[in-house]
Amino acid sequence: MSSKTMIEAKNITKQFERKIALSSLSFTIKKGELVALIGPSGAGKTTLLNSIAGLVPISSGELLIDAMPLSFYKKGKVFAKKVGVIRQQFDLIGPLAVIHNVLAGRLHEWGTLKSLLSLLIPQEKASAIQALDRVGLRGKANEITSTLSGGEQQRVAMARLMVQKPEIILADEPVASLDPARADDILNMLITLSLEENQTLITSLHSVDFARKYFTRIIALKNGKIFFDLPTDKVTDDILAQLYQLKSGETV
Amino acid sequence: MKLVSSLRLHNRFFLSLLLAAVFIWSLSSIEWNSKDLLHSGGGPTLLQIAEGLFQPDLSADVLAKGFESAWITLAYAIAGMSLAIIYAFIVGILASGVITSAKAARITNKVIFRGILGFTRSIHELIWAWLFVAAVGLSPFSAIFALAIPYGGILGRIFADMLADVPKEPIHALKSAGASKLQTLIYGYLPLVWADFISYTMYRFECAIRSSAIMSFVGLGGLGYEIQLALQDLRYDRVWAFVLFLVGLVILVDFWSNVVRKSLTDHQAKSGLRSGWISVGFAILMIFVSWIFIVLNENAHIFELVSDQNIGASKRFFGGMFGFNNENPAFLDPSNWSNAFKLTLETLEMSIMAIGFSTIAAFLTVIPAARNMANGQLTGNKKWYHSLMFWIVRVIYIFSRSVPELVWAMMIIFIFKPGLLPGAIALALHNFGILGKLWAEVIEDMDPRPIRNLAAAGASKLETFFYGILPIVMPRFLTYILYRWEVIMRTTIVVGFVGAGGLGMDFKLAMSYFDYTQITLLLICYMILVIIADFASESTRKAVK
Repeated sequence: MSSKTMIEAKNITKQFERKIALSSLSFTIKKGELVALIGPSGAGKTTLLNSIAGLVPISSGELLIDAMPLSFYKKGKVFAKKVGVIRQQFDLIGPLAVIHNVLAGRLHEWGTLKSLLSLLIPQEKASAIQALDRVGLRGKANEITSTLSGGEQQRVAMARLMVQKPEIILADEPVASLDPARADDILNMLITLSLEENQTLITSLHSVDFARKYFTRIIALKNGKIFFDLPTDKVTDDILAQLYQLKSGETV
Repeated sequence: MKLVSSLRLHNRFFLSLLLAAVFIWSLSSIEWNSKDLLHSGGGPTLLQIAEGLFQPDLSADVLAKGFESAWITLAYAIAGMSLAIIYAFIVGILASGVITSAKAARITNKVIFRGILGFTRSIHELIWAWLFVAAVGLSPFSAIFALAIPYGGILGRIFADMLADVPKEPIHALKSAGASKLQTLIYGYLPLVWADFISYTMYRFECAIRSSAIMSFVGLGGLGYEIQLALQDLRYDRVWAFVLFLVGLVILVDFWSNVVRKSLTDHQAKSGLRSGWISVGFAILMIFVSWIFIVLNENAHIFELVSDQNIGASKRFFGGMFGFNNENPAFLDPSNWSNAFKLTLETLEMSIMAIGFSTIAAFLTVIPAARNMANGQLTGNKKWYHSLMFWIVRVIYIFSRSVPELVWAMMIIFIFKPGLLPGAIALALHNFGILGKLWAEVIEDMDPRPIRNLAAAGASKLETFFYGILPIVMPRFLTYILYRWEVIMRTTIVVGFVGAGGLGMDFKLAMSYFDYTQITLLLICYMILVIIADFASESTRKAVK
């Protein structure tokens, strides 16, 4: 595995109005690492992913993506080659056919005219079909996306990511609304794809079991701070119990 | 605390009470004395009009005329709508702020383009028509532009609202996939709103048919023109024959719009979009045919609009409106203002009376008009007369809403003496059908379970209504009342044209005397009224929520 640093965070802090969402986080993530981000609700997992994705500007600190500060990637088109995002299934365009949602991963390469034309005659169709093949949705290219099931929609989002081919994949609770069997399936696929393309994967998860099962490194957040940052085999039940412990006086 | 919470609990009740009080206040502006209200021959005229309704003149030449004028009305409505859609599309996108990234630019864009949309829709299509005719003379384009401008304003505002309300997650996802602003528009915003936009446009198209018909008032041929001629000849049997054509046209458009809406929802369920494409193809064909017809048959030449003569005329007209070369413009004269203020107040009273009458009429008829009441689905009891009542009320609703306010006013003015009452009645006649239809749909969309429980608990029909149906539907009912009131406010000026009092009557006088500055003054009052109505109705709606 190459040891190139993909993400470097130095004391990043994010403040919303009065609330501190992230307080002085520092960590580095190397190319090809598979990182799970865990922690109780409201710990700052989504805020951290959104900051790395450039959706939420950080209040202070330094955040380097592939050795360059975020401000270097002023053009979304360049940034899209570095970082791709996958969330719960809500982030697809429901009324469009599946193939267009997959090809949206190519928009950073396309001009306006080509993307307009593609809605009539899908462009670079082969790459989209291949991606759909990989996620097991071969025959569904021309179906309306909103008619697919939750698990299927999540695969469409994955196919879009395959077409986009970013170096870093940020997955924000990608399996939150799926049943355990489908969640297993999706995570498996996500890990396999990242390994094949040597992509860096950061996934926020509710389930500690999934984090331990699939990921090599676990970063735990609590109250906007890093609670621990350990290789998976060093994570003990004890420390996990502390992570999810309610404040004294609170009852379950 | 207790008082506040009980006020909270009953705020809808108090609001209703307040609205009822306002309605009663508006009634007090009329002297309720039948001698002053009715024409001496008003009663017999009413009988004659009613007689014509049951024996419409369906002779061959009237039918031929009817088909021809129905086509003209339809063609102008389509031509106007096609321009309105283009205008709404462009300005709506700009007003929504979805393609501007800088915050300052977005806000200025929103203010400017929303302002343009607001201005264009606050003026009624007939006023636009009148202004165009006064400026460039009678040309088919006067009518088409007069339709396109306010309808574009309405469509554009809704379009902008829809774009602004799009769920943010898919858009963020596209952005992080590297899509530019234009690409998020094409791949995100537009696909997410187009189904809703098309169904709203179809709904507006039905209104455009009526507006196209009343363009007769500025000399455009078509059904409105024929109705007007027949009224002048006192041939009520012909009046009703042409009104029936108008009703038929509205039903046809309603049917088409249902087909389109259905194909939109079907399209989401299946992969094919065949029926959708047929509708699109049909719409494009209709637009094409309408424009060809208007350009060839009606001798419409866009270049004639910019002839020297027309430019001179419009310069004179708009210059006149701003009071150039006028030593004593009406809008600078306090006595004119106080007079205009009185008229504005009258117009307000007329609109309140109109919505009050419509509400009462719709309230009395809405129960049998709901499909799930008629077939016993909601209450679990069904009588043979239920479906009969259903059809009778629904036919009355269709009739009521198919006939434009102006046409109702032209008929009513034969019975009543000029004043606020005939105007209010004409507005109410048109609006109660719309209100009733909208309300009936609210009842039809209701969750039937609580109502059935009440019925099972032994509640009588009346009790079911007050304990079950009314509390659930009340907020939506109120919302529709307020929406219709906004529309009525815009239309009051138009019924005034035929002698129904208020600002409209004075507007027509000023037009015929070429008193341009007076026109400006009246338009200012009118627009203030429309803005107040929008504001009042919006804040009341929020209070109900």
